[in-house]
Amino acid sequence: MTHEATQITSPTKPSEILLHLGPQHPLQPGPFLLDLKIEGETIREAELKIGYIHKGMEKVFEDRTYLQILPLTDRICYLASNSNNDVYCRGVEELLGIEPTERAKYLRVLTNELCRLQSHLLGIGEYATDVGFLTMFIYMVREREGVVSLLEAITGSRLNHNYARFGGVANDLPPGYKEMALKTLGELKKQVKSHDEMLSSDSIYLRRTKGVGVLTAKEAGELGVAGPPLRAAGVEYDLRRMEPYLVYDDLDFKVITQTDGDVFSRVKVRLLEILESIYIIEQCLDQMPSGPYKQDVTPYITRPKPGEVYARIEDPRGEMGMYIISDGSDKPYRFRIRGPAFATAQALPPLLVGGYVADVAAIAASMDSCTSEVDR
Amino acid sequence: MAIIEIYDLIMHYLVIIFATNDFAPWIRGVLGGLVIGAVFGGALVMVYLERKFLGDMQSRIGPNRVGGRFGVLQLIADAIKLFTKEDIIPAKADKWLFIGAPIVALTSGFLMVAVIPFDLLVIKGNEYAVAVSRMDISILYLEAVSGLAIFATFMAGWGSSSKYAVLAAFRNVAKMIGYEIPLGITVISVAVMAHSLDIVEIVEAQSSIWFIIAQPLGFVVFFIALLADVGRIPFDQTEAEEELVAGWATEYSGMRWGLAFFAEYLHAVVGSFIVTLIFLGGWNGLPIVGNLYIPGIFWVIAKTIMVMMLFIWIRAALPRYRIDQVIDIGWKVLIPLALLNLVWSTIIGLLWA
Repeated sequence: MTHEATQITSPTKPSEILLHLGPQHPLQPGPFLLDLKIEGETIREAELKIGYIHKGMEKVFEDRTYLQILPLTDRICYLASNSNNDVYCRGVEELLGIEPTERAKYLRVLTNELCRLQSHLLGIGEYATDVGFLTMFIYMVREREGVVSLLEAITGSRLNHNYARFGGVANDLPPGYKEMALKTLGELKKQVKSHDEMLSSDSIYLRRTKGVGVLTAKEAGELGVAGPPLRAAGVEYDLRRMEPYLVYDDLDFKVITQTDGDVFSRVKVRLLEILESIYIIEQCLDQMPSGPYKQDVTPYITRPKPGEVYARIEDPRGEMGMYIISDGSDKPYRFRIRGPAFATAQALPPLLVGGYVADVAAIAASMDSCTSEVDR
Repeated sequence: MAIIEIYDLIMHYLVIIFATNDFAPWIRGVLGGLVIGAVFGGALVMVYLERKFLGDMQSRIGPNRVGGRFGVLQLIADAIKLFTKEDIIPAKADKWLFIGAPIVALTSGFLMVAVIPFDLLVIKGNEYAVAVSRMDISILYLEAVSGLAIFATFMAGWGSSSKYAVLAAFRNVAKMIGYEIPLGITVISVAVMAHSLDIVEIVEAQSSIWFIIAQPLGFVVFFIALLADVGRIPFDQTEAEEELVAGWATEYSGMRWGLAFFAEYLHAVVGSFIVTLIFLGGWNGLPIVGNLYIPGIFWVIAKTIMVMMLFIWIRAALPRYRIDQVIDIGWKVLIPLALLNLVWSTIIGLLWA
């Protein structure tokens, strides 16, 4: 397996076909072009071409004030909007030298975990459709509705939450939230356990996923893949544990790992992480201290001292990092996003080579990449 | 009871018309039209049932706007939509193959309908099968005609000059070669047990014991092979949306696509009829209803709908196999099992005789 960007060669034998999957194809969450050279049903070469929805976000950010950037970070990937808000705010807070209040830290962890829940649920659902299991998709979306409603009750919106603020969060929990959340999450826990059982026992599903698209720990490391695909390969790499931010130090949770690194393990990791996230949320709701949810003075015009910062977070998809250089003005001098989906996307072509056309959908969906974030 | 009496009256007159055979050609044509219409309606019913029951199983509602709460007119709305859509023939397509494919698919479905008997009436000691045509070798005819459908998919796949379509066509041919064999062997087992190739005789042979009980293995093999034959989940690789967009129908639009889609459902409906007739006892009713006379046609249709529901249930419950696994199952599992079943049914058939 080579890690250089492979250029696909044109077919030489009459039995070979060049198949363009995309830029519009039912398998894709967003536009990208996957060129496959296939012989019969076997993939000989694969090349991924991205950039169809490049939005120039990093450059746009350099032309906005710090507060104006905040809602735009939602749009990097709508499924991880809360994590993106949070990591950006932590970066700016570090530049400003302020800390969020204790309650705000808990609220951010709470919303981050809810964000992970809904991202994983949709990720598994999309993946299930890609192996022809439409029913599982509908079930997952049904389960996700409850989680999204929980997020909506806190943040006021269902997709682009824009919740974190410098030194705090936008608003406090609504009254009666704890009961509502525990009820929904209890139901979700039961459902996810039953779905896990269903997926682990279905023989067709096992045949489709076991030993397919194996990404070893070494390859994942070389390609910069983090998050569920790396943990599925057996590496206990989780920023929440390795570099505990916010209040993850005070919370009890396991880092979910599997050993095989195949499609099945990646989905299994997500399923188990859902249960783990529910556990974290329950602890947050129990331990959350009272007090202000934001700093007394929220700075509207932010002029951090010159300096640079790299903040990172365990995104639902892996490691999300933001690198901000401040020159003392109200706009960042340089802004760089290190997205998890970009790494998982570039790991895709080598995984496909040697496999079947039918596996493309399963492997691509199990990596749970996000075109919006890849192109940003 | 009045309805049943009316039914009996109509059937008697029809049978008399058949028996006298004087104005047979056009009457037969009319009856054929009626049966084809009925099966056409059956396919529509299956589409509707599929939407509704799949919705229920997936905790959705399904069609619920057009034609009242239950969306019964949704199909008509869809048909109007398909008819008014632009009919696109790709510039590089092989025009005649492209146009011919849906026609061949539908024709194969309708040809199968011709020999499906719905009931057997005994009038004055003579037997009359309620079918467009009764053949001595109707089960072989069905096998042969159902094999025509593969030409349709390959014509469409090749004629569209689209890579997705041609890949789907290749898959379909590979699958068909693997699955027609167990299908054929199981049909032979049934014929061996019934001592006849005539479907009417096969059904009559089940008057004491249904073949699903006499050869359960045969039923399982036949049902799985049939699922593959009509291309439903878990064997719908030829139209796997996430891999091949819409399979061999990728380049079709408007009513041409509608015909291709409809042909698939027609095959599924006819397949359900065949399962009913050769394994589920056809018009032989269940003994639970006692002395109450229920027309055989009712049993045939009720059982067929049950089989359709089983198709829908399987679709809701299972993911899709990969194409190489499908071929594996066909050659390495189903064919040996079908042969085993042939041996079994031969022994039982001999003992029975």
